[in-house]
Amino acid sequence: MRTLEFLASRLGKAVLVVIGVVVLNFLLIQLAPGDPAAVLAGEAGAGDELYLAQLREQFGLDRPLHVQLLSYLGNVLSGDLGYSYRNQVPVLELIADRLPATLLLTGSAFVFSLVLGVLLGILAASRRGTAADTVIMTGALVFYATPLFWIALMAVLVFSIYLPWLPPFDMETIGAGYTGWRRALDIAHHLVLPTVTLGLFFTATYARITRASMLEVMSLDFVKTARAKGVQQGRIIRRHVLRNAILPVFTLASVQAGQLVGGAVLTETVFAWPGIGRLMFDALFQRDYPVLLGVFLVTAIMVVLVNLAADLLYRIVDPRIETAA
Amino acid sequence: MRDTTKRLLAATAILALGLVPAAAQGSAEEPRAGGVLNMIAQPEPPMLMVGLNTQGPTLYVGGQIYQSLLTYGQNLEVLPSLAKAWTVSDDGLTYTFTLEDDVRWHDGEPFTSADVVFTADAFLREAHPRWRHIATTYVDSIEAPDEQTVVFRLSKPFSAFIYAFELSSFPVVPRHIYEGTDYRTNPANQTPIGTGPFKLQEWRRGSYIHLVRNEDYWKEGLPLLDELYFRIIPDSASRAVAFERGSVDVLRGGDVEGFEVRRLSGLPDAQTTTEGWEMYSPVVFLQMNLREPPFDDVRIRKAVMHALDRDFIVENVFFGLGEPATSPIASTTRFHSEDTVAYPYDLDEAKRLVEEAGLDAQAHPVRLMPLPYGSQWDRLAEYVKQQLEDIGLVVDIRGVDPGGWSQALSEWDFDVTFNFTYQYGDPALGVARHYLSSNIIKGTPFGNNQGYDNPRVDELFLEAAGAVDLQEAADAYAEAQTILTDEVALGWLFEMRNVTIMRDDVRNLVRTGIGVNEAMDEVWLDR
Amino acid sequence: MSFLRLFARNKGAVIGLVILGTVVAIAAAAPLLYPEDPWRSVGRPLLPPFENLRFPLGTDMLGRDIAAGIAHGARVSLLIGLVSTSVAVLIGVGLGAVAGFLGGRLDDLLMRFTEFFQTIPAFAMAILLVAIFTPSIASIILAIAVVSWPPVARLVRGEFLTLRSREFVQAAVVIGQSGPRIMFSQILPNAMSPIIVAGSLMVATAILTESSLSFLGLGDRNMMSWGFMIGAARTMLRDAWWMSVFPGLAILLTVLAINLVGEGLNDAMNPHLRGRRA
Repeated sequence: MRTLEFLASRLGKAVLVVIGVVVLNFLLIQLAPGDPAAVLAGEAGAGDELYLAQLREQFGLDRPLHVQLLSYLGNVLSGDLGYSYRNQVPVLELIADRLPATLLLTGSAFVFSLVLGVLLGILAASRRGTAADTVIMTGALVFYATPLFWIALMAVLVFSIYLPWLPPFDMETIGAGYTGWRRALDIAHHLVLPTVTLGLFFTATYARITRASMLEVMSLDFVKTARAKGVQQGRIIRRHVLRNAILPVFTLASVQAGQLVGGAVLTETVFAWPGIGRLMFDALFQRDYPVLLGVFLVTAIMVVLVNLAADLLYRIVDPRIETAA
Repeated sequence: MRDTTKRLLAATAILALGLVPAAAQGSAEEPRAGGVLNMIAQPEPPMLMVGLNTQGPTLYVGGQIYQSLLTYGQNLEVLPSLAKAWTVSDDGLTYTFTLEDDVRWHDGEPFTSADVVFTADAFLREAHPRWRHIATTYVDSIEAPDEQTVVFRLSKPFSAFIYAFELSSFPVVPRHIYEGTDYRTNPANQTPIGTGPFKLQEWRRGSYIHLVRNEDYWKEGLPLLDELYFRIIPDSASRAVAFERGSVDVLRGGDVEGFEVRRLSGLPDAQTTTEGWEMYSPVVFLQMNLREPPFDDVRIRKAVMHALDRDFIVENVFFGLGEPATSPIASTTRFHSEDTVAYPYDLDEAKRLVEEAGLDAQAHPVRLMPLPYGSQWDRLAEYVKQQLEDIGLVVDIRGVDPGGWSQALSEWDFDVTFNFTYQYGDPALGVARHYLSSNIIKGTPFGNNQGYDNPRVDELFLEAAGAVDLQEAADAYAEAQTILTDEVALGWLFEMRNVTIMRDDVRNLVRTGIGVNEAMDEVWLDR
Repeated sequence: MSFLRLFARNKGAVIGLVILGTVVAIAAAAPLLYPEDPWRSVGRPLLPPFENLRFPLGTDMLGRDIAAGIAHGARVSLLIGLVSTSVAVLIGVGLGAVAGFLGGRLDDLLMRFTEFFQTIPAFAMAILLVAIFTPSIASIILAIAVVSWPPVARLVRGEFLTLRSREFVQAAVVIGQSGPRIMFSQILPNAMSPIIVAGSLMVATAILTESSLSFLGLGDRNMMSWGFMIGAARTMLRDAWWMSVFPGLAILLTVLAINLVGEGLNDAMNPHLRGRRA
């Protein structure tokens, strides 16, 4: 029951946060220079006053600002995200087309970085001071300090051009017509470089925090006691240390959900990955506001849901925690 | 006028004999049917409906779906497309087109003169600013005496009219789908129906556009290819890699950066051509706001022209893909004049002019707005800033995205920027719009945004456009070019030479003056 | 143990300090080392490195000296890193201190506000802000500050929450000191060390963010920055590697050094948390 109550109150707050995000972005966008109609006319290679007026009327840009905002909010609440100015298709359709690609990329980068990062962190902590620790921590520091786009460029250069092992872009082999397992394998093959590129920074973060958190827990009394009792090192780490050391990693992981989406903008651009990060970037430059707002809305919902899931997980892992701070 | 008619007749005669201009390469080989051609659509077009959007990639893909009445050769000779023959009356006022028979739209409906009349009189008049201008200024009536014939009657002579039927100016749209609807929001825009050699099969946004062979195409036995893929690859370095790895067969001009062009052209299985841009012949220029200091003073503008080394720009910024420009009218089109005022690179002369003008540079810092189309344009802005500072101006680069650029230029809120213009075969269509004082209007980045106003130039352009005699037009254009270069109405920098790079087994790709936008019905693969 | 000795015990931190010192020295000396504008063409275009002593790191496609660009770029990167972090820390400390000290409804409100900002993907928000306010050094600093203050606010709030129940604060309350006075003269100095550590790491993140923005073409066009240099060089990566490798290394080394120093500070200031890195 308590969990249900907790969930209801969190969901209520989450809806408010999402509405806030929509309003804030809507207002911010009004500050941008560049009238969408003028941009479209420029892009179309032609334009005169009449053409611009036609476009503005079609987009509803000739109405007062508060009317535009209210009608947009009303539409959003009824599940209608409007029409893309540029593509003339429903925004929801555009996002639905692109969202699976982003979920696949960010999801696999998340799992990759979390698993690898935690494993490396455990390894480094349990071999503290050895060569393995030094190598892992130095590597983590370097990837923590390298710009993501730079890694992307170098990875393409090495693994796609000098060593033609991995496809440098696209999500699947276009025109090959694979189905079923064949297609899944093909997509997985294309997924390797973007996932590693996007995930490396986070891998470094998780490795470092896992190690630090493990070392801290290992210095606590109950671990010392266990050790004094002659419990094996591996068992100590599995049974006692890890359970307690993993909490800060969870906290960080839930916060980083949003950062993954941000990083996806860069990764999707370099690897021609047809996701919503790139959709957002293009929409910004094309002043395609309904699409831009739609993407921000969807990412905000994603982040809120991930945070909620993390809070629930917290309550399961550590029942002492009431509501998350 | 006899001249015009003769050219048209000659073009018709060539076609009647079946002598389609042969491609430079592989004319002796027997064309083979079948195969898939992979290309790149960059940036991803908003739609494929050419009547509503005339962006480069829209034309590239849409040109396989939609067709126009005419097309134009590499010497800008008029060639048939949906119109198989045409005549122009001696007074230059009546244009009569005879349409191909047995043409069907992709949905099976017959194509007739009613579609052409609807396109000209209703659809494009509402949705296409360039055509609207021509139609309201010059066209009196558009009629279809029978199913195969369309007659345009003009209110006054307009020698450029015959060039107004190219794909980007006059794509024919199906009346049965658009009549009585709101053209821009018609859902059919997502499922384009044309008369062209290929039909839209699937458009996976962000990934690719897939076209397949139109089995019912009106040219017997064509098209030769089975499928076309236009891939969406947003990063220019990745596009180069795509060609290198063989996942695409064709790179259109602008698909990759100039530096890559050099490298990719050298690949053993690549061939290149600079042909196929004659109709457009883009000319790059520096646009200075003539309304305010310092560029309201012609001496400063002349100084700017002397301060820029156009050979350096072409060689080092654009990697040799251009020719320094000497006039507003491209050297690849008719009416280009060599008799213009020249501005050789001469820093001393430039400094002298600035001094003579007595400019207080600190009081009038210059905002320089790069063209937001990629790194070469940024480099150009950096070079120009350096040169202008050398002659004593104070320059601040204002980085903008395409939206900001378009807005600032349309609202005249700039000091200096870059732009380039398509010629569309005749100065009356592509050039005059940048100098006519009637075109000093806010709201578009492609008008007379610098605010150039000279009644004599207005007069000359009108005279040339209305001339029935080509020599008369040439004389007027020559005088206009002299005046414009003397007053530095714009700072012409260079004529772009776009390179098409393709796999060496691609045949017949570039055959006309609109290059890769031409219907690829005769393209085949020697593999 | 003294602060310096604690700091010096961390070998990484000392190495970081040496690198960072060098970067700062280069930045300070840039106008003396390369008095010419780094945007100027000074040599033959695309000169490879180590061939001509005058241009040890080579030249770019317009004949600009890469070494001069790196030196002047150090100024821009450090400036953006420091200023945007200072702004972010100011916002974060302000909001976090009020929330943590006063607690109650206001705390709840401010924390909702902070959470709200954390819901929008930071980098996406930075792109949006820079594009809206047109790319300039001011808009970049503003954008980075706006997206990076929330963690500081949470950290400071946490510190204030724990510190406000300590005896010395209670004593100040008893003798009648005003709220702001207690916050700034009693609590803040005691919360300084985690703020300094967090701030030093934020400088590194800010430098990375600026380079990513520049890479996407959203840098200040009048400033020679490292991110800009990579962005400009990336299309020529395979033909002129030196144009992107050297600025890339500069970013890597600087960010690495700042991180190392930050950790050293952490170890020296919070000895009880030794080894804790995030």
